[in-house]
Order: sequence, then C-alpha cells, then structure tokens
Amino acid sequence: MSGAAPTSAPVGVDAAGPALATSRSLRDRLGAPVFYALTALASVASVVLVGALAYKVFAQAGPAISHSGLAFVWHSAWNPVTNVYGAADFIFGTAVTSVLALLVAAPLSIAIALYLTELAPRALRTPIGTLVEMLAAIPSVVVGLWGILVLGPFLQSTLEPALHSAFGFIPLFGGDPSQVGLLPAVIVLTIMTVPIVSSITREIFATCPGELKEGALALGATRWEMVRAVMLPYARQGIVGAIILGLGRAVGEAIAVTQVIGGTAGIHASLFAGGDTLASRIASQYQGATSNLQIASIAYLAAILLVIALVANAIARAIVGGARARPAGAI
Amino acid sequence: MKSWRMLGVLAVAGGLAVAGCGGGSSNSSNASSSAPGSGGGTSSSSTNLTGAGSTLVAPLMSKWESDYSSKHGVTVTYGAIGSGGGISQITARTVDFGASDAPLTPDQAKAAKGVLQIPWALAATDIAYNVQGVGNGLKLTGPVLADIYLGKITSWNDPQIAKLNPGMNLPSTKITPIYRSDGSGDTYALTDYLSKVSPEWKSKVGTSTQVSFPTGVGGKGNDGVGGALAKTDGSIAYVAISYVLANKFTYADIQNAAGNYPTPDIKSISAAAAALKSVPADNKVSIVDPPASAPDAYPISTFTYALVPQQSKNAAGLKAFLTYAIGDGQQFAGSLEFAPLPKQILRADKSTIAKITTG
Repeated sequence: MSGAAPTSAPVGVDAAGPALATSRSLRDRLGAPVFYALTALASVASVVLVGALAYKVFAQAGPAISHSGLAFVWHSAWNPVTNVYGAADFIFGTAVTSVLALLVAAPLSIAIALYLTELAPRALRTPIGTLVEMLAAIPSVVVGLWGILVLGPFLQSTLEPALHSAFGFIPLFGGDPSQVGLLPAVIVLTIMTVPIVSSITREIFATCPGELKEGALALGATRWEMVRAVMLPYARQGIVGAIILGLGRAVGEAIAVTQVIGGTAGIHASLFAGGDTLASRIASQYQGATSNLQIASIAYLAAILLVIALVANAIARAIVGGARARPAGAI
Repeated sequence: MKSWRMLGVLAVAGGLAVAGCGGGSSNSSNASSSAPGSGGGTSSSSTNLTGAGSTLVAPLMSKWESDYSSKHGVTVTYGAIGSGGGISQITARTVDFGASDAPLTPDQAKAAKGVLQIPWALAATDIAYNVQGVGNGLKLTGPVLADIYLGKITSWNDPQIAKLNPGMNLPSTKITPIYRSDGSGDTYALTDYLSKVSPEWKSKVGTSTQVSFPTGVGGKGNDGVGGALAKTDGSIAYVAISYVLANKFTYADIQNAAGNYPTPDIKSISAAAAALKSVPADNKVSIVDPPASAPDAYPISTFTYALVPQQSKNAAGLKAFLTYAIGDGQQFAGSLEFAPLPKQILRADKSTIAKITTG
C-alpha cells in the first residue's frame, strides 16, 4: 500500500497508511448533517404550515358549518342583523370576475409570450419581458388605488356608456354606468394575472424544440402557420396549466378587488352593477364582525376559498409539470 | 445511518410543530375563542395604553393623545379600525380600551365578559350628498331618507324630495346611496334613527353596526365613503360630522320630530342630549329621533362609548385617562364639533369609572 501513497502527503496525515484523511475537522463532520437537517426542517415546516393553516380555518368555520351545513354554499344572503349567511353571492362574484379576467388575460398573455419568444427583435426581448413581469411586482393595493382614482371614473364616463349604447340589449351591459362594480374588478384582475400567465407561457414556448419549428418553416409554412401548427399544439398543455395558475391568483385577490367592486350583495346580470367576491368580503368584514356566527361564517367563506385556490393550484402544477417533463423532440 | 438522521430530523420538526400548534391553540382558548385578532395580551406597562375602535372619535382621540402624553407622560396609541373592530378587540382583550359608537348588544356584552361602557363624546352623523347643480341646504325627512336607502326613491327629482325643497332645481340624476362596508358606529346611528322613523326599515334591515343594505355602494371607513361620495355624481352618504366639515362636503338638513330642520352643530346636538331623561345602569343611551319637546335637536346625534374591562391590569392608567377624557379632554371637543357631555352623563360616567378595579 505504501508504494501507492502519494509523494507529497497532506500535513497532519499519517503518511504510513492510506492517504485518506482520518481526522476530518469538526466543521466537515458536522457540516453535512446540519445542512441536511436545516433544509429538511424548512421543507417539513412548510408542509406542516399549510396543514395547520387549513386545519385552523376549518376549525374556526366549525360553528357555521354545523349551523348551516352545505346549504350555505348556494344560499344567497348576508345579513348580520338577522344572522343569516350564505356564500352564493360571493361564489358567483368570484367565479364571474375570475373567469372573465382570464378570458381576457389568456389571449393577451399568449400574444405577449409569442411576441417575446418569436417575433420581437432580440435586443427588445429582455427589456419588454422585464417590464411585463414588473406588472406582477406592483403591490395590489396600488393597483386598487389606481382602479379607484383612474379606472373607475374612466369607466363611468367613457367606456360603460359606450358599451351600454352599443350592446345594451345584452343583459351583461344592461345596467347603469357606475364607478365601482364587476367590470373594474375584472380589469384589475386581468392586470394582475397577465404577468403570471405570460411568463409561464413564455417559458413553455422556449422549450419548444427548434428542429420542429425549423422543419415547419423549411416546408414553406409562414410564421403564423408555424406557430399555429407547431408551437401552440406543443404548448397547449402548459398554457392550460398557466391559465389555471392565473385563476388561482385571481380567485384569491382581496385588496385590489375590495377597493373597486363596491361591496354590494346580490346577484345581478349586469357587469356594471356592484358585487362582491369571497376574498373581498372576508377582507372587508372580518375585523368588524359582530357575532360569533358571523365570524364563523366568514371563516366558512375562507374555507371555501382555500379549497378553490388549492384545487386550482394542484391541477395547474400537475398539468404544467407534465408539460415541462416532456423530453425535447417528443411530439 | 441515513435513516437515523432522517428520523432524528423528522422527530425534531414534528416536535416543534406540535409545540407550536399546541401553544397556539391553548393561547386562543385563553382569550375568548369567539373573537378575531390573535390573543397577544394587553400591554402590561403602566405608562402606555392601547385602544382601538370608532373612527368617529378618532379626531378627538388624536388631540387627547398628544395632550395627555405631554401633561401626564403616558402614551396612548389608538387604532381607528371601526366600532365593530373596537368591540372585537376589547372582547379579545388585545387592547386596553375599545371605542364604539354603538352600545354593546346583549350577545356582545355576554361575549365580552365584564366590559363597561362609558359615553365619552357626543357627536352627530351627517347626511352628505354630491349632486351637480344642488347646493347647500337640501331638506330631507327621516321617512324619505329611509326610502332612499331602501331603494324606493331612485332619482333626485323624485316628487317626495321636490316637495320638501320647493325652491331648489333638482336634476333627474340617479341616487346612489353609499354606506359603510365595515362595522361602523355611524351605521349604527343611522340605522337606529331609520328604524325609529320607518317601520319598513326596522323590519327589513334592522339596527346594527353592520347591516345588509338593500341597495347602494359600500366604502371602507369614513375615508372610503368620502372618496366614493366625492367621485360619484348623485350620491348620498352618511358620514361623521367632523369628517364632513373637514372635507367641506355639502350636507342635508334632516327634519326632527318637532318639524324643524336644525343644522347639525353643537347647539342642535346638545339639544338632543338634553332631551335625555335618565341614564340606564349599563349606560346604553340612544338619542336619535328625540321627541318633539326638543324643537332644536338634531335627530341623528349619537354618543360614542369607551369600552373598558371592569378588571384590568392597567386599571390605574385607564381610570386616569378616562377621567381626563371626560374632564380636561373635553376642551378640544368644540372645535371638532363634539358637543359637551350633559350633566347626567358625566355623573353616570364618574360612577362607572370608579367601578374599574385592578385584576
């Protein structure tokens, strides 16, 4: 063995035996296990936190669940005086604002992603991409403030009367123009979901294999035909996942929506009318709740919202994960 | 070896989580488990008081804070989160005192477990409006106001409003009633008044710090409502008087039971308070819609209450501050359109303050 030993042995090492260090420093010996422990602890703590949070919300909602049962979900009322509560108005508001916001945000985001990956001059891609992602960095309360000060008056004086006169026969645009309501909430939510959906879509488009694109172009397809025949089908699964992720964000947005939606109860057909969403009702009423049942009912709203958001997120991750894992070149 | 390490880490993590959860749940069962706001315990320092609640009393409170700290060296920190919030926080004992424009309902008093209410300021809720072409001095009656908020009167040139204002040129603009979406003492004062003057309001909506308004638009806090009022043509809102005057909103004159239209000011608010015959044991007084024997009274006047626990670690500090508030502190009241407290209220307050003990 000594014949195979290196000629210059490290200081402090027994040169007679194998030249592996027999006494590692304390830092080396502890370092690896501690590193392992800390990272494992952080991960386990996050999992425990999610579980504890969900448990606490459902525990707080307990009195309302036993009082109203599942009928709470489709009962349309919210009366702190008679202590009758129901989530239907807010589920409707959440559904309408989020779905409409995504209907607008999805094509917009796909267009942005396509522009940034395919069509923009290379020099412009990073600046424009960064600016789009900056939209996500704007605090929600600032977006809400802009909604009250700028968007609301604009809608009431210009856009809503125009929509009303052009499409007033559709119940959707049938009401009176107003500064607050479902329409400003939809616009605010669109602004907040576009950065998320577009950045994920951009990432998905970037994984589209170059050979397929070049092949299509070589066969004589135009840019648009290449996009439509190669990129969109390839990215379809990922885009759906991105949209559902955006839905999760839209559903949970509280502050910006509270400021522009008007906080009214009731289900109306018109977009100009006021409404309320689950998140917005929780945010505006929790602090001043007057009775135990009201607090429990607000927690029940939170439980419903939690379920919607977690389910949306889980579906999105499954879909996007599947899309990303596909190896390059697979069709 | 690896599996031992894994086991050790999971054991430590699990232990921490259980300790955290267990500590959390026992904490919340100590404080009233019905109240929001995590139980953090009141400040035990004798030099600081914390309070939360009514936005109506907030301008007066900020004057008290600066004056009291300069005279007595005690810092009072107050969060104007609305009367509903004040009630919840004092129930959970996360503050030393709460402030509410609405007296505690029997359910709230039971949940709060031994909280005294002490009327410490007297103010009014104005009805402000923003209608292009209509200036100051619009006259309204209680039933008409109720119908506006019920959604039965929908435009400004409705015959019922025009009848009360023969000299005014009222446009056909739609009326947008604005209300407080958070728990508010101004809502209590308005709904208390409307319940007295409109049986339909009483049965359909009721009286509370937070009600389900049949129509209109909600704003959060006096500032949210004020903001919505300023930007919506044809809107009407109920706002605390000091807020209306500070922002120079136009406000309406409401007819009282004697048939007069008193301007909401110190004189008319004091007249409403003077009509108070006696103070009940729990200090729950309502001076909205005063009887016709008070011809100059403004009908939507309201007391605002301090809510203090009968037993408090900070009893000495609280008693000193409350005595200041109903005594020297009232010197700031006039400039903010708070009326002086009538004698019978002062007497009741002093005897209630004496009930606070250390515990």
